[in-house]
Amino acid sequence: MKVAFFVTCLADHYFADAAADAVRLLRHLGCEVSFPPDQTCCGQPAYNAGRTGEALRMAEHTLDVFGGQPDNPAGADAVVLPSGSCATMVKKFYPRLATSPGASAVRATALAERSWDLAEFIVRRLGVTRLGDGLAGRRIAVHQGCHALRELRLETEPATLLEGAGAEVVPWEAQEECCGFGGLFSVKMTAVSAAMADRKLETLPDVDWVVSGDGGCVLHLDGRSRARGDRVEFVHLATALWRGVNGDGGKTGAK
Amino acid sequence: MSVESRERILARVAKATASRAGLPHPGALVTPVTDDPEAAFVKRFTSSGGEVVEAGPGRERSAWLTRLLRGLDPEVVGVAVGPEVPPEFRPRLPEVAAAHAGAGISVAWAAVAESGSLILPSTGTRAVQLLPPVHVVWVPRGRVYGRLEDALRELRRNLSAGVGLHSGPSKSADIGRTVVTGVHGPGRCMAVVGSYAPTGTSET
Amino acid sequence: MATGIKDYAARSREIIREDPGVRESVTGATIAFDEKRRQGYAEVDADAWRRWAEGVKNHTLTHLDRYLAEAEEQLQANGAQVHWAADAAEAREIVTGLAVRHGVRSVVKGKSMVTEEIDLNPVLEAAGIEVFETDLGEYILQLLEEPPSHILGPALHKSLEQVQELFADRLDTARDGDPDTLARAAREVLRGAFIHADMGITGANFLVAETGTVALIENEGNIRLTTSLPRVHVAVVGIEKLLPRMTDLAGFLQLTARAATGQPIGCFVSLIQGPAADPGDDGPEEVHVVLVDNGRTDVLAHEHAWEALRCVRCGACLNACPVYRQTGGHAYGYVYSGPIGSVLDPGLLGLHEAMPLPFASSLCGACEDACPVRIPIPELLLEWRREAQEEGLTPWKERAALAGLASVATRPGLYRLAGKIGSRLGATGAARVLPMLGEWSKDRALPKPSPRTFRDLWREGIE
Repeated sequence: MKVAFFVTCLADHYFADAAADAVRLLRHLGCEVSFPPDQTCCGQPAYNAGRTGEALRMAEHTLDVFGGQPDNPAGADAVVLPSGSCATMVKKFYPRLATSPGASAVRATALAERSWDLAEFIVRRLGVTRLGDGLAGRRIAVHQGCHALRELRLETEPATLLEGAGAEVVPWEAQEECCGFGGLFSVKMTAVSAAMADRKLETLPDVDWVVSGDGGCVLHLDGRSRARGDRVEFVHLATALWRGVNGDGGKTGAK
Repeated sequence: MSVESRERILARVAKATASRAGLPHPGALVTPVTDDPEAAFVKRFTSSGGEVVEAGPGRERSAWLTRLLRGLDPEVVGVAVGPEVPPEFRPRLPEVAAAHAGAGISVAWAAVAESGSLILPSTGTRAVQLLPPVHVVWVPRGRVYGRLEDALRELRRNLSAGVGLHSGPSKSADIGRTVVTGVHGPGRCMAVVGSYAPTGTSET
Repeated sequence: MATGIKDYAARSREIIREDPGVRESVTGATIAFDEKRRQGYAEVDADAWRRWAEGVKNHTLTHLDRYLAEAEEQLQANGAQVHWAADAAEAREIVTGLAVRHGVRSVVKGKSMVTEEIDLNPVLEAAGIEVFETDLGEYILQLLEEPPSHILGPALHKSLEQVQELFADRLDTARDGDPDTLARAAREVLRGAFIHADMGITGANFLVAETGTVALIENEGNIRLTTSLPRVHVAVVGIEKLLPRMTDLAGFLQLTARAATGQPIGCFVSLIQGPAADPGDDGPEEVHVVLVDNGRTDVLAHEHAWEALRCVRCGACLNACPVYRQTGGHAYGYVYSGPIGSVLDPGLLGLHEAMPLPFASSLCGACEDACPVRIPIPELLLEWRREAQEEGLTPWKERAALAGLASVATRPGLYRLAGKIGSRLGATGAARVLPMLGEWSKDRALPKPSPRTFRDLWREGIE
């Protein structure tokens, strides 16, 4: 299967290694991965702020890069994003943005239909739930981004994959609660945003890693936990899964 | 002033509603039908903290109710009884004002299984239903509806000025999230099922 | 209307910093409510119920003129008197006028958001009338002179210890009185109030057009007492509370209770048709229904926000909201707080008055999943954000930053260059050029950029 990789701006600049692990995973699963070089930001920051004009411009740029027609220039069967939130932007919000009838509405719908969050793609599109057993003995808490959880309804996929690789996914009281990132929200309402992170951190069970498929949430949670002086290790889902494949993510493996 | 506001509000509402297509009423809400409404009522009502008592096979309802009230803790000395309660269903205890009664006795119009509710019309006296710490309610035989909607459809034709649905004791969790009962209304709500047949109907 | 809305950011920070007990109480209470709501939904076909309720409300709101007229006619036929109030001032005048006309000295009130909205108590008190809030939570807040913090549990931000202290000072209860003892002390005071009051004032959960029925849901019995014992009952009702038919109540009474507390139905439901009519009935001699607009027709006319008028005031969205949980309702500065407040207040008060509430959300969507009438709260928040941007109600720095992002993101060469500069600047360097990171670093450590971007790694080849 041909996959066009949409790295997303946060992963490009803050989770470059995790994004590389996502590419390794996809290749491991038999995908031919391409990286359209003109890709930029999906436009979600502008969309969430209510800047529709800017969001639409960024969406149209992305539609140009990844195409919306089956004969798209990238020539890929699927577009995969290592970010639940950005995947939601493309899958759910592009069609809402491009509601005026015309070419971009058609392209938006077509792109939405073949775009996937990484975990969603592996479980729902490829039908894979076992990726190796390299996470044996590893205690993990999963943080799901709200868009992945409540827009894409990826309620079980990340945990399924982690458990499939041998990890113990530990129940977390605040598992389904928002971490308080919310893009612009985290800088506009910074005290509330931080208190929301505290609720997640205060209820965090004793685990080796907190794993999330959403970079934004991780930047925020990690930033808050370091400011509090907590010692929590955040690992991007792509990296955790690749270590599961690779066999070096277990408790006894090389850490 | 008020007349002007009436016209103004209705005109604004009409303008707003005219700006979008009218949407249809979805019809009735379909909820499950129960085979045994009485059993379902007992289950629901008790799970909400209500109590269900049976008067047993005897015909002496009055004596039975008197014994029940005397046996409560604290013992009921004076009672308030709604005007709708027939003589043979009234306890043999001194009748006092509702504000001072140990128990209030009423007759329900019907009960509802789905919500575990007693439907109390204002053909009775509301103070009797509300002021005493214990409320004992006779539920007429055969008058337990399975679904609330069916009960309300019938009630529509029998509406009194102020109908109350009582579905358990008065309660609140406003202090320290701890549930306390008998906050303003009765702290005990007891439904007597299966034995009330109003005067003039045959008892079997 | 003077509200404290514009201070949301500062006030929320203050509550979190200065009064951490609020966060603890509110979080505990709302999580417990939310869990009960989940259980309450799980016992029925909640998806079908919610779709049905959404449909009935949409039908009603798109035929509201018809149903208002029908309700008025029915109420009058039942012997009730109907009043119309265009705004809060007129609603206050109507209610106060009724009280004065009846020589009312003492009023008992059932918990009602709309009477908070119209700020009724101060004018009654100014007219020399004693007002008793009779809902236990509202009574606590009346003693403290605080506004409610939550639609359903107005005092849920107060701990047991705070109520113990308050009641010890005011009602002479023991300093360590348990909730039962404290509730009994309040009951005693309020029982006297019920018996002596000349007028009962309530809101309404629903107003049934077909029968002219004011429907009220509660657990304590105080509303039944308020609508039964005093000789005059005044129900203050927002015009969006209409339901077409008596049978519609079946779904709404049960769904509202399940959404609010997980109960199958409220312990007490009052269905008020009009003044007492039967010989044995000791109910009120007069029933007045005050239909209040106060901004609702503006909301109804709004292309998107009208959907918020489906709201049944169950509080489920507040309970589900991780933003609300950190502060409770007072941070929001207005009677309708939390997610529903953030979409309703801009419509009721005007967007300018309600800033920055549309931005007081991380858009996590938990509210929409909880809402019994499926109000698309995140989408409505986005609509208000769009309007705020169009009207220039947001800080210029923010707009400039997003315009900048769009310019860069639509020019791949520039985007790559900016990325390169960013990773070279590192965390603190980036914070110096990006104004928003300064806000970020108030409460968090700065994010660490990857030493080499993914783009670099891709070019070098990923093994």
